[in-house]
Amino acid sequence: MTHRFIVTPNLCIGCRTCELACSFRHSVNGKPGQTRIFALPGPVREMWVPVTCLQCEDAACAKSCLVDAISRNEQTGAMEIDQDKCVKCMACVAACPFGCSVHDQQHNMIVKCDLCGGEPVCAQFCPTKALVYQPVDMPKPKVVA
Amino acid sequence: MVHLTINGTRVQATEGEMLLTVIRRMGIDIPALCHHEAVEPFGACRLCLVEITKDSWNGWKGYVTSCLYPVENDLIVNTHADKVIEARKTLIDLQLARCPNSPEIQQLAAQFGINRTSYEPKVDGDNCILCGLCTRICDQMGFAAISTVERGHGRRIAPPLDQPPPDCVGCLACALNCPTHVIPFTQAGDRRTIWEKDFELITCSRCGRKTITREFATALSKMRGIPESYFELCDACHREDTAQGMGRIAAWSRREEKAS
Repeated sequence: MTHRFIVTPNLCIGCRTCELACSFRHSVNGKPGQTRIFALPGPVREMWVPVTCLQCEDAACAKSCLVDAISRNEQTGAMEIDQDKCVKCMACVAACPFGCSVHDQQHNMIVKCDLCGGEPVCAQFCPTKALVYQPVDMPKPKVVA
Repeated sequence: MVHLTINGTRVQATEGEMLLTVIRRMGIDIPALCHHEAVEPFGACRLCLVEITKDSWNGWKGYVTSCLYPVENDLIVNTHADKVIEARKTLIDLQLARCPNSPEIQQLAAQFGINRTSYEPKVDGDNCILCGLCTRICDQMGFAAISTVERGHGRRIAPPLDQPPPDCVGCLACALNCPTHVIPFTQAGDRRTIWEKDFELITCSRCGRKTITREFATALSKMRGIPESYFELCDACHREDTAQGMGRIAAWSRREEKAS
């Protein structure tokens, strides 16, 4: 793992470009997929929080998967769902305490953030650097008050 | 690493992999009804049949179900040889005779140019092709609530003694993965019924959305040690909580930054 995905809610303006980018990146046969990232209102007025998979160390999704379809991609560090193995029992959707494993109703599959295999498009499209994907030794983006 | 030739293309595969996995990875479309990556291969539907040979076999050719055949060095595979197509046609013709009313089988047969079975179609049958994928998935998940019962003509899939299965948790994995969608279930309000067993669906305590069955959640906590409290909210409400929690941390860090 050489990169990290940093979410800075104080920089998010709630434009939801990340959701669009994610949806298009995960299209199936030309149809946009379910977004894996959600820009949601925070506890304070005018605050937005992009919520996406935290790639937990001891992940509830992987623990709950009785057919072991969820495993960590050692290269990117992301927990990935093997769609060929998934039996759509919805256990991970119910088990994730952050709600980041979701059912894509359009394509009838269970999806979660896979960091786009190492180049997350949400971070590429985020206009305010609220989402960045950068080498671990680079400093975090500054919030200018 | 194993090197073999599939339809004239040299490919690499990992030792122990089955031919079908490699063929599918190459994007070659061959039919298979009973195959699922989550469970051990079984070779029930036989549709993934391919022709295999080797230079050292002096022209001898074998016909094997690719889902059950491990990759071998220097194997030469033909997925669409004339004899293979012919065998697949016969197989799908037989499936159509067994399940004349199954839309999935009809569609597959139509791809092979078969609109009517040349055998006598079964009149009183259901659309089950007896591939056992449902029972294998159920076993794999650790419930083993259903199995094949009886032998020969009477063979069918059923819970023990045809009673509502005590080990079933109502996860629907059997029904959703059935290649001919033949396992009936109903869902209305917070009730779900499958294999004539009635289940209560967990209602999100905040928004009222329905998630998995209470029995499935209990089983997951027992088998994998997931706290049962995780199952009280739906995924959307969990996300809301995550936004609130992360937002509070962000607000705190903004105050800290301003202060320093």
